[in-house]
Amino acid sequence: MDLLDNLALGFSVAFSFQNLLYALLGCMLGTLIGVLPGIGPVATIAMLLPITFHLPPVASLIMLAGIYYGASYGGSTTSILVNLPGEAASVVTCLDGYQMARKGRAGAALSISAVGSFFAGTVGTVIIVMFAEPLTRMAQKFGPADYCALMALGLVAAVVLASGSVLKAIAMVFLGLLFGLVGTDVNTGAQRFTFDIPELSDGIDFAPIAMGLFGIAEIVVNLERHLTRTGTIKVGSLWPTREETRRSIPAILRGTMLGAALGVLPGGGPTLGAFSAYTLEKKLSKNPGEFGKGAVEGVASPEAANNAAAQTSFIPMLTLGIPSNAVMALMVGAMIIQGIQPGPEVMTKKPDLFWGMIASMWIGNAMLVVINLPMIGMWVKLLTVPYRFLAPAILLFCCIGAYSLQNSTFHVLQVAAFGVLGYIFARLGCEGAPFLLGLVLGPQMEEYFRRAMLLSRGDAMVFLERPISLGLLITTALLLVLMALPSIKKARKEAFQEEG
Amino acid sequence: MNRFLSKDFLSGLMFIGFGLVALYFGQKLALGTTVRMGPGYVPRMLALIMMSLGGVICVVALVAGAEPVEKPKWKPITLVTIGIICFALLFERAGLLPALVVLILIASLAGEEFKLKEVLANMVVLAIVCTLVFKVGLGMNITILRGVW
Repeated sequence: MDLLDNLALGFSVAFSFQNLLYALLGCMLGTLIGVLPGIGPVATIAMLLPITFHLPPVASLIMLAGIYYGASYGGSTTSILVNLPGEAASVVTCLDGYQMARKGRAGAALSISAVGSFFAGTVGTVIIVMFAEPLTRMAQKFGPADYCALMALGLVAAVVLASGSVLKAIAMVFLGLLFGLVGTDVNTGAQRFTFDIPELSDGIDFAPIAMGLFGIAEIVVNLERHLTRTGTIKVGSLWPTREETRRSIPAILRGTMLGAALGVLPGGGPTLGAFSAYTLEKKLSKNPGEFGKGAVEGVASPEAANNAAAQTSFIPMLTLGIPSNAVMALMVGAMIIQGIQPGPEVMTKKPDLFWGMIASMWIGNAMLVVINLPMIGMWVKLLTVPYRFLAPAILLFCCIGAYSLQNSTFHVLQVAAFGVLGYIFARLGCEGAPFLLGLVLGPQMEEYFRRAMLLSRGDAMVFLERPISLGLLITTALLLVLMALPSIKKARKEAFQEEG
Repeated sequence: MNRFLSKDFLSGLMFIGFGLVALYFGQKLALGTTVRMGPGYVPRMLALIMMSLGGVICVVALVAGAEPVEKPKWKPITLVTIGIICFALLFERAGLLPALVVLILIASLAGEEFKLKEVLANMVVLAIVCTLVFKVGLGMNITILRGVW
């Protein structure tokens, strides 16, 4: 069977000694940074991006995926042990995970979340394998106008589903699109917004932006809050009791299903999955009063959903080239730096890369459980290192990383500049994720837009005449209209309030 | 305090400001026609849409009211930025070691607590780690101390 052949190819790539090593390295590094309080997966990946650039494409993507899983895993650890979520998705884990830790069940909470995540990751990988081919085949029928409409839908949906103020987030998308246009215009060779700086003629490099916007800004915000933490952390036994196991298995199953389904949506991703799973468990539970006081379902289900969604959110990125959240935008950026244009061609032209990466996702998940769980003691020690040691160290690594991109100090200065910009965004309550999505999609979207207009001889109606494009645009418009409806506005506000 | 100092109003202004910058520096770029768009067409379109969004955000913030912006703490962001800039300036001219010492010193000043002994220890550890990882391990072409290694 085709599917099995593909998987076999994938595993043969992923199981090479070199790639296994990079997957392991990625998982370890991801966990190492992710476990630091207040630093979520996006910041972690942004900081570690430069390390992967010198590797061959397959190895670099495998390592990045490993970093991603490691970072989410590390994030859950911090949430459970010290009640400091690194990202929105782990806010939910804090609710009951930290309560379990206070009751001395931290070890059980950690292992349930790890095993739940592994199970969910496995299911997620299987779903990717099943859907990748049909979706890719569909995507190959898309013309430039359709692509443009698809990107518009992706951007709008990401904004609507995943952030606070819709208007501000949409404006951030536009700002990101504009920043994406800096550099040499592909069609005419004209220099746009380069201010005669030769380094800018290839466009603003993606990595310094990501590092500045997420890494540096996050460090600064953490320095302002000056994180205080609890003295000693006791992990306790890693083994859950029989009662805990009995209650978490169905919760993990439900979380996996829900997360996998929500992850595919643009803008869905881990956060939406985790929140919905928590709400679902609370509704299904016989004694909802337990939630928030250390209910094991409240850890198991959202953690599974989180990871399943993290896995399936690769689907739109791998098949259509459309990132659905900030992490995927970073992945797209990394692929472009490696000379791979994400989209339906990746699977047909570079099957070893495509299937190798998918196989390595599963391997990465397995490594996290097998290797990291026994090492929990080491990560806990890391948590006790004061922030005043960590912040300068992280800054230093960011600087060296940025320099190593092209051996140029210009990139280091860019990190500083985007750090300031990221800080302004954070202060004004503007989210970085929509900006990043716009930035990554900007150049492609312009290309498709201009090509579509050229093909239609300047008639903008082309977007409404092609059925695929029309359908996508109608969906986009509907989403925007829905957001303006008062009742939905209210429900949405409540949902995001719970988050904050 | 002041209704103009809300997060939303200021971010609206920011979008309008960026739009103006894009329009000003993009004015020399050819617009082209809708069939054959010049390099200036899409940037101008994006800037105009973003500015109108910014305007709407401003108006909504003034009419409906919005969350006031917190008073920024200048110390961390200023010191971190200065630290990175110093690093960039020193790295190629003087080498990793001086750049590292300056960055760690300035970045440590950005935090709440500053103990000289700890900062010195941090520098020593990081200098050894960075040299081993980047110079020896990854074989990166970096100078540790100009003229020495």
